[in-house]
Amino acid sequence: MMRQFWGLYVREVLRTFRNPFVLLITIVQPFMWLAFFGSSMAKLPVAVLETEFGTTNYIAFLLPGVLSTSMLSVGMFGSMSSIQDKRFGFMKRILITPTSKSVIFLSKALGSATRGLVQIPVMIVAALAFGVVFRLSPLEWVAWIAALLCLAIGFASLFLAITASSTDWQTPGVVSNFITMPLMFASSSMFSSSFFPGWMQAIAHVNPISFSALFGRSFVLGGSTDWTYLGYLALFAAVMITIGYFVSARWLKVE
Amino acid sequence: MTEPAAIEVRDLSKRYGSKERGILALDHVTLSIPKGTVFGLLGPNGAGKTTLIKVLTGISDITSGDASVAGFDVRRESLKVRARIGWVAAEVILDDDFTGWENLRLQARLQDLTDWEERAGQLLDYFSLTDRKDHKVSTYSTGMRKKLEIALALLHQPAVIFMDEPTIGLDVGTRRMLWDIVTGVHREFGVTVLLTTHYIEEADALCDRIAIIDQGRIIADGTPSELKARVKADIVELATSDGIDPALLSAIPGVQDVRSQGSEWIVRVGSSEDFLPRLFAAIPTDHIRKISIEKPSLETVFLDITGRRLGGEEPMRDIRKFYMQMRRARR
Repeated sequence: MMRQFWGLYVREVLRTFRNPFVLLITIVQPFMWLAFFGSSMAKLPVAVLETEFGTTNYIAFLLPGVLSTSMLSVGMFGSMSSIQDKRFGFMKRILITPTSKSVIFLSKALGSATRGLVQIPVMIVAALAFGVVFRLSPLEWVAWIAALLCLAIGFASLFLAITASSTDWQTPGVVSNFITMPLMFASSSMFSSSFFPGWMQAIAHVNPISFSALFGRSFVLGGSTDWTYLGYLALFAAVMITIGYFVSARWLKVE
Repeated sequence: MTEPAAIEVRDLSKRYGSKERGILALDHVTLSIPKGTVFGLLGPNGAGKTTLIKVLTGISDITSGDASVAGFDVRRESLKVRARIGWVAAEVILDDDFTGWENLRLQARLQDLTDWEERAGQLLDYFSLTDRKDHKVSTYSTGMRKKLEIALALLHQPAVIFMDEPTIGLDVGTRRMLWDIVTGVHREFGVTVLLTTHYIEEADALCDRIAIIDQGRIIADGTPSELKARVKADIVELATSDGIDPALLSAIPGVQDVRSQGSEWIVRVGSSEDFLPRLFAAIPTDHIRKISIEKPSLETVFLDITGRRLGGEEPMRDIRKFYMQMRRARR
């Protein structure tokens, strides 16, 4: 099982690096958020930034949020990769070997999550260029990356589970619209949830994107860190990967 | 004690969709394929050939009946079956962005192999791909891609290889090359091959035994010569400018059977050489628009049993109907 998982996982990751367009989209998308959306707040008075966002540089506030929301697109790319394999017959090639559907799911989920992590160094460098100063300890770096990895695994698993029985190219896009928009805006990724109406705050308070954004922000902006967020994110990843594992074993469509 | 067959299929049916509205793609199929043979499944498009491969490889579920491959039950021991089979698709399915060697490495991992490099090297040598092993597959010709796909199928030393329409869409030269490869692979590696095709000459040239499948049913099986010997007659196809009375044809000495196929007649005769002068005496020759004679062949076997040609118009209509029904059933 490990050898089969490793073969498919390496294939999933290598395919990203062999396809410059996928790599470009993975990197450029969050960068655009940082450059354009981040810069749109640049002229806010410093007092407002300090009061409302706890920093004089909105990009420092935004970076953990954008990295968190970009893990949603990781899920979409993972399910697109799965549908591509079904349509080109590769899923059949895999399954006419002693490889189980659950192993295929695990390799796709973890492969997509790994691909998502590529965005982190690129975004950190971009943030440095925008004047963000990082004062994280090695442990804090590891914890932040682990939080993002948990988020990526969770969303990749969620997308793969929802699209397990689909062979339609359009499904990941449709699913993405239903999941990405509400979760992105009803989170603390771009603004403080204190600005939200009550019903959106309710969503934001259980939204794993909020946990990840707040967790990362506590390192970038300084201040106290709520380590239970990392626990919630690990739980989110574990629950989603378990659901995806069983859903795939039962419903993963071959072609 | 007789050696167990490489593939045993007993009363196997496969239905897509519900019992009322679905399609019966395989209808109580029974087959026994001896070890070490090249077995051909010959039939028109939509006959059930690919469905049978999907069922035997574990890609599709069985509706009823039993099947075993390499001594293992397809339903209960699916993983054991899949560890002992290879598969060559109608369309080439490879990772184009990966090299030939990387494709082999992935296949080895999927098959859970440890010492595979030596075998992979031997296969690349056998298929004359060694000097291209580190090139991306996207740079390979169609023939090279087919060869690599067969190398992948052989990597884990399978007992049975399934080849689903392996030469469909290939030019004549590449098809001939592939025939040589199939014959060579069978001889060199001692593997049982189940090959589906709707090309009669392919089945005739490659297969030790053939089963003819039509509308999900096996309608004949045997060696090519046994099948041809079933039709102890020549088949004359006849089209006339006027309507023709079948009784007139039946009355000609030597005629065994007369059937209509659209506007044409299929006449089964003991000897076409004896029949033709009698035909011309019975019907004015200027009324005959078309006449063709076929000596016993796999095509005449199919024609004789079904009253249709393998690649004729009628089956084409059946295919469209079949796929339309399939789509409806899947909704």
